[in-house]
Amino acid sequence: MSAIIEIKNVSKEFKVLNRREGLKGSLKDLFSRDYKIVKAVDNISMDIQQGEIVGYLGPNGAGKSTTIKMMTGVLEPTSGEILVSGNVPYQNRTKNAQEIGVVFGQRSQLWWALPLVESFKILKDIYQIPDEKYEIILKLYRSLVDIDPLLHKPVRQMSLGQRTLSDILAAFLHDPKIVFLDEPTIGLDVAMKSRIRTLIHALNKERNTTVILTTHDMGDVDALCRRIVIIDKGKMLYDNDIEHLKSFFGSYRTLKLRIDGDLKEKAKLIQKELPEFSVSVDEEWISILVDEDKAKVIDVLGKLQHSYNIRDMQLEEISTEEVIKKIYEEGVK
Amino acid sequence: MKLKKYLTLTRAGIIEALQFRLSFVVMVIGNLLYLIVVYFLWKAIYASAGTDVVNGMTFTDTLIYLVLATALFNFMEMYTVWEIGRNIQSGKIVLDLLKPMEYRKYLFWSYSGAFVTQFFLTFLPTFIAVAVVTHGAIPMGINLLYFVVSVVMAVSINYSIDYIVGTICLYTESIWGINIMKQVIVLLLSGATIPIAFFPETLRNVVRFLPFQSIYNAPLSLLLNGSPGTETVLTTLGTQLIWCIVMLAISKAFWKASLRQITVNGG
Repeated sequence: MSAIIEIKNVSKEFKVLNRREGLKGSLKDLFSRDYKIVKAVDNISMDIQQGEIVGYLGPNGAGKSTTIKMMTGVLEPTSGEILVSGNVPYQNRTKNAQEIGVVFGQRSQLWWALPLVESFKILKDIYQIPDEKYEIILKLYRSLVDIDPLLHKPVRQMSLGQRTLSDILAAFLHDPKIVFLDEPTIGLDVAMKSRIRTLIHALNKERNTTVILTTHDMGDVDALCRRIVIIDKGKMLYDNDIEHLKSFFGSYRTLKLRIDGDLKEKAKLIQKELPEFSVSVDEEWISILVDEDKAKVIDVLGKLQHSYNIRDMQLEEISTEEVIKKIYEEGVK
Repeated sequence: MKLKKYLTLTRAGIIEALQFRLSFVVMVIGNLLYLIVVYFLWKAIYASAGTDVVNGMTFTDTLIYLVLATALFNFMEMYTVWEIGRNIQSGKIVLDLLKPMEYRKYLFWSYSGAFVTQFFLTFLPTFIAVAVVTHGAIPMGINLLYFVVSVVMAVSINYSIDYIVGTICLYTESIWGINIMKQVIVLLLSGATIPIAFFPETLRNVVRFLPFQSIYNAPLSLLLNGSPGTETVLTTLGTQLIWCIVMLAISKAFWKASLRQITVNGG
C-alpha cells in the first residue's frame, strides 16, 4: 500500500528583514534590503500511511506549523516534494481541501454567531456532502458524544472545550482522508482533554482517518499516537514508535521542590548529595531530574526530607522540551 | 448543486446579519445624521450660488443623487479590505484558504448575505422614501432595469477594487491606513460624495478614464435620467462591463501572484 502522505527532502525558507533597533533603525528599515534567510524546515522526509495517528512534536518555533501548512497547501515548499493523497497540495489547494480537515486549537472555523448545526449545514453544502452520508456521520457523532445540547447553541456562547469539540467534529464532517490537529487540547482542563482524546481516537478507528497531531502535551501523545516525529529548529530528530522513545525516557521524572532558604545554595547542596541526577533551579523551584532506574522518586524525597524543610512539591512527567534536550545530549540509537 | 455551495454562504450571511438587530438601528440613525448634514451643506451651497441650477443640477436633483449614493454605498460596501486584513493578522485566513473553494469566491459569497439584507433593509426603504417624498422625481420606467444591471456590475467592480487593496494587506500586514485611503479615493472619484457634474473640467476628464465612476455615478445617472438615449445606455453599461472584466483579471492575477509569497502569521 502506498503512503497517503509522502514528504521527500522538503525545505522551507523564509526571507526575514533584519530589523534594527530604535527609531533611527526603524526608519532605516523602511528602505532596507538587508534580508536574512531563515530555514523554518530543513530537509524533512517521511511517509505516512492511511489510518495512522502521528504525533508531530517539537518546541515552539520548531517548524511544525510550517510543515502542516505545506501539507495543507497554504505554503509552497522552497525545495522538495510533497504528495498528499496523490495531489501536490499547493498546486491543487482547492482539490486538496476536499480531502483534508483542519483544526487549529487557537482558532475556529465555525460561524461565530450561528448555532453549531447551521455551521454543519454550511459545511455540508460547501463540501457537497450527500444527505445519506451526512446522516450517517451525525449518527456516529451522537453515539460518541452528547452533541444534541451543543447543536443549537451559538458558537460564541460555547466554552473553549465545547468549541474545540465542535471544531473537531466539523473537521471530520466531510469524511476527509487526513485530519490535521494543531494543538487541539491547548488550554483545556483534564476532563475535557480526556474527552477530546477519546473522540479523536474513536473517529480515527471508525473512519480510518489519518491524523496528524501536533501538541506540547505528552499526555495527548501517550493516549493517541503510535508513531512520533520530533522536529527542532527545522530538522528532524526522531521518527519512530512511541515505545522506543519511552524505553529511552520513560523512567525519567522531574521532581520539583520548594524549600525554605536561599534556593541557589540549597540546590548546590542537593546536587552534592545526589551527584547522579541533574539539579537545576529557577525563581521558585528546585528541579531534580530523577532516573527511576537508579532511585525511586519517593526515596529521593525521603532522603531530602531529613535535611531540608520542604514546603511544596510537584512531580512532572518528562516534557517534550526535555525529551528534545536529552536527544541532543545523548542521541537516539 | 454547484450553486448551492455558494448560496448556502448567502443564507448563512443573512441569518448572521439578522442576529444583530441592534446594529441596524444604530446604522439607520447614523445614516439619518449623515443625510441631515448633507442636506444642510448643499442647501448652503445652493443658497450661496444664488441660482437654482448649479452645474446643470437643481437642489432636489443633487439631494436625490446623494441620498441614493449613500444608500447604495451602505449596501455595496462589503468591508472586504477589513475582512482580508483582519484574517491575515489573526491568521484565520489559513482556515478560509482551506475551504474547497477559491478564496475570492468564498469571501464574496460569505458577504453576499449581508448584501441582500442591506438591500432590503436600507436601500429599498430609502429608495421608496425618496420616491414618495419627491413625488415622482425618480422616473419609473425602463431606467429601473438599466439601473439594476448597472448596479450588479458596480458591485463586481467595487469588489475587485476591494480585493486588490485587500491583497496589498498581504504585504503590509496593516489595514487601517490603506483602507481609509481606498475609501476616500473610491468615494470621491466615483462621485459618491460629490456628484461628478460638480468636478472641475480637468478632473472630470481624468475620472472618465478611471474605473471608480462606474461604481456610483454610472448606475445613479442611469436611474435619474428619465429617458436616456440608447447610445448613453450602451456606452455606460459597455464601459462598466469593460471595467468589470479588467478589474476582475487584475485582482485575480495580483492575488495569485501574492499568495505565493505569503507568510501566514503563527508559523
